[in-house]
Amino acid sequence: MRYSPALLEHFLNPRNAGLMREPDGVGADEYEGCGDLARFFLRVRDGRVSEVRFQTYGCGPTIAAASAASERVTGRSLEALLDLKPQEVEDAVDGLPEDRKHAADVVAGALRAAALDALRRQVGGPS
Amino acid sequence: MSRRVYLDHNASTPVHPEVLAEMLPYFSEAFGNPSSVHAFGRDARAGVDTARERVARFLRVAADEIVFTSGGTESDNFGVKGLALARGRGHLITSKIEHHAVLRTCEWLESQGFAVTYLNVDELGMVDSDEVRRAIRPDTIGISIMHANSEVGTIQPLAAIGAIARERGVPFHVDAVQTFGKIDIDVTAANVSALSFSGHKIYGPKGVAGLWVRKGTRLVSVQHGGEHERRRRAGTENVPGIVGLGKAVEVRARDMHDEARRVTALRDRLWEGIRGSVPDVRLNGHPTERLPGTVSVSYRGVESESVVLGLDLKGIGVSAGSACTSGSVEPSYVLRAMGVPLEWAMGAVRHSLGRSTSAEDIDYVVAAVTPIVRKLRAALPVSAA
Repeated sequence: MRYSPALLEHFLNPRNAGLMREPDGVGADEYEGCGDLARFFLRVRDGRVSEVRFQTYGCGPTIAAASAASERVTGRSLEALLDLKPQEVEDAVDGLPEDRKHAADVVAGALRAAALDALRRQVGGPS
Repeated sequence: MSRRVYLDHNASTPVHPEVLAEMLPYFSEAFGNPSSVHAFGRDARAGVDTARERVARFLRVAADEIVFTSGGTESDNFGVKGLALARGRGHLITSKIEHHAVLRTCEWLESQGFAVTYLNVDELGMVDSDEVRRAIRPDTIGISIMHANSEVGTIQPLAAIGAIARERGVPFHVDAVQTFGKIDIDVTAANVSALSFSGHKIYGPKGVAGLWVRKGTRLVSVQHGGEHERRRRAGTENVPGIVGLGKAVEVRARDMHDEARRVTALRDRLWEGIRGSVPDVRLNGHPTERLPGTVSVSYRGVESESVVLGLDLKGIGVSAGSACTSGSVEPSYVLRAMGVPLEWAMGAVRHSLGRSTSAEDIDYVVAAVTPIVRKLRAALPVSAA
């Protein structure tokens, strides 16, 4: 099989897929080469991610990576999330084929953007 | 995984048991080189001759007009390059939705100084014969149009194009790889000069195909060496493969009309089933002038590889109309040429049915695809926004 069992499991049963009402942070990233995109919504409590929701458009690995990453980063501080590396997202689905590495890039990029948005909103005053 | 359903017959087909049985002795008993004069060689030669006669009978042409090749790609290269290089220079006409074996060959010929017109198709994937007429120039030396497109199945108006070719005295090559052995081909009525066909699309083996060349058509060889195939295609014949191709054609002649009726009904059942249970879908290709087993469906807003993966996990083999490879996404060039909007082209999935396909298979696929598309759309920014 081209994809790991973990990836296929997340693809078939994505966790945390869908919209979030009144999120504390929103971020998106797109892989221009193939139009894959991911958007993450964060709920933040005491500087940490308490809830994650995502929406994606892309091939199976992108959906799976978004699902796996959403579980992985729950509970993490926003500052730590700013440092999220694609490799960690890839590890969360037990690896990606060479021609699907961009799935991890898009997901990590969108989560970092969401963390940055949440931090800016905190600095920006009451919300 | 309980059930396995193969709906990718336009990509390849399983070898028919009658074909395999006919081939087997040619691996181990009649294994000689057909060019050898001894009995071993003569046995192999007899197998090749029989296959040639079977293909000729099926196409209603002379046996010595058939040249066996290694595949549809070689046949297309031979047909298009052979016509062009025999004339040295000039202008060719083809369409934007040809197989890459024709398109890339034409591009190469452009690099060698030939001119090529790539005709547009309409939204159903049909070439307009009037456009063929308008494209012809005084220096036009060949026309190459496929009989039916592998992705959407639209069948081209060969007779109308052939009539123009006859009127203007231009040789006409037809890539019939997707139609040969599936629907009727009348090379005389359509005034075809050369026709590519293949074995593994019709329950024959891979690695064997052919080009029929009308007697009197000037065509140069693209592969040089010995004097095989009446000096048209050098190289020791793939005897078991050729025997298999011949048998496959004979079986198709017997079965193809009944099967076309049955498969057409299943094809329409599939489309009606999908249309009835999944919102926002469209059928790509001509609604009626279409290969019996081909159903290209677009799911709006969904990425086709995700659908293919989801179906694969349910034991269903279909193919994606767009390919996401590293660095670029290629919504199918065929769908783009047909003017299919990007959001639809990206979600195209091709199902191609065949002799083993049953009504139960079709119902299983319809039931499987519905939740897959619903789930993919649920995680989708576009529709949810």
